[in-house]
Amino acid sequence: MKNPFAGVERALILTLVFAAFAATLAGLGARAADRLAVHYEQQRSAYAVVRVLAPEGPEGMAAAEAALAHAPHVLTAARMTANRAAELLSQWGGVEISPASVPDIRLIEIELTPSPGADVAGDIVAALAQGGVTAEVIEAPREIAGGGVSARVRTAALWGALAFAALMAAIVWLAARGLAARRRELVTVMCDLGAMRSQASGRIADEAAVLGLYAGAAGAALAGLAAGAVMLLVIPGASVETLRDMILPIDLAPIVAAPLGAAVAAGAGARGAAAHFHAQAARLG
Amino acid sequence: MARLNPIDLELFERGVLIRLSDVDAGYGAATVLMGVNFEARAGEVALVTGPAAAGKTTLTHLLRLALPIRSGRALILGADVGRAGERQLAQAKRKIGYIAENPTFIEQWSAFDNISMPLRMTGRKPREYGEDVRELVDFVGIGEAADLPVAQLSGAERRRVAIARALAGKPELILADDPTAGMSPADGKRVVRLLSEMRRVGAGVVITSQDESLAECAPVQHWRIERGRISKAAAPLEAEAQE
Repeated sequence: MKNPFAGVERALILTLVFAAFAATLAGLGARAADRLAVHYEQQRSAYAVVRVLAPEGPEGMAAAEAALAHAPHVLTAARMTANRAAELLSQWGGVEISPASVPDIRLIEIELTPSPGADVAGDIVAALAQGGVTAEVIEAPREIAGGGVSARVRTAALWGALAFAALMAAIVWLAARGLAARRRELVTVMCDLGAMRSQASGRIADEAAVLGLYAGAAGAALAGLAAGAVMLLVIPGASVETLRDMILPIDLAPIVAAPLGAAVAAGAGARGAAAHFHAQAARLG
Repeated sequence: MARLNPIDLELFERGVLIRLSDVDAGYGAATVLMGVNFEARAGEVALVTGPAAAGKTTLTHLLRLALPIRSGRALILGADVGRAGERQLAQAKRKIGYIAENPTFIEQWSAFDNISMPLRMTGRKPREYGEDVRELVDFVGIGEAADLPVAQLSGAERRRVAIARALAGKPELILADDPTAGMSPADGKRVVRLLSEMRRVGAGVVITSQDESLAECAPVQHWRIERGRISKAAAPLEAEAQE
């Protein structure tokens, strides 16, 4: 078989490399958005406030702290001081609030372990009740102040990346049709020599797929390097070692998928065009 | 796949490579060949001569299985053209060596690589066919030019490369569409003699040309085509007697 790069214009290879590069970057960007959304959601769901209703007075707060020390899902518990309350109120309200102006509050901030599907508030209230404390658990709101945004971000990132990858695949498909057009004389000769449509189009599709694989691998590798460089620049204190630990196997999926996608799209485009040229060569009139 | 009936099969086994019976063929709305009756046998050379636009190239397209028939019956290398499927037509095509008036090549490949295409397509390795192709290169007289890209060859050299490629697959039927066009009379006669040599190995040869004098170069079955109708030319002695 001839060298797949022989006679192929540089512009075609650059088109395939660019398409794979862009699709990989889109995939990596979507993966980054996905991870940020997950992190944000975890941060939100890992925090709650316990409001002690009874018994009143310092005994109630002490009993609640003691009960929370053994309550399920609770990692840490810390009584909210007037300073901390003033800081939070100032932060949320946008108006400076003095700790002295904060009334006596009976709140305990708790840090939670991730417990998907569990009735966290119910379990904690039950544990407090066993300790003789009546309290309510105030979790992060679901629909306001960012509740539910992460799911929408994740969905948008996934579908956005897939749509962009499909667009790039269409570009590769069209570019591969161009390759088949440049190999038209080969298809014509093969047809004249008795090659069936599947043989002629398969030969061109193989060539396009190999080209797509090489170009896709180059584009994906470049995109991976670019993404790594951006992460090193953007993440404070990041180094090659920490990046290596941060990256999950699933983060590498776009880098693996791009060459395979480029090969499939290029093969399909070239096969279709070559089959058309074969049909034209095989039957005049 | 359409199967041949026993009579058709017997014809093919008896060496009838082509039998056209009342065949019409053409392009789009135009019917170019009308009521064509034609036969070619293994070990014989059929020369079809006629003026420009008489239908010679269309006849060649029909014989190389690139043009469907509109009516009549065409048996070519055991394939009933009107009923055969893609696979059977492709199998028959592999037994045909076709030399086009303007041959198509893979221009950036060397002449040697182009000539070896039919062998390459059968899955043979270069070390298996290299010597055979070199012999063909010598036979058609391309010489050193065999290693040059086809794009760099002259018209006459391209024609020789086309002949070598057509012969490479050891075809049972050789079709040459005006193979002497643009050549000097001496070169043209040399090419016809070269093609005629293939009858000695049992192949059937069909040559179309405008040049009536080619009938004198080698023993041929001479046919004439005019306005899409084909008829057997009178033998020279018969022609003289008629005059």
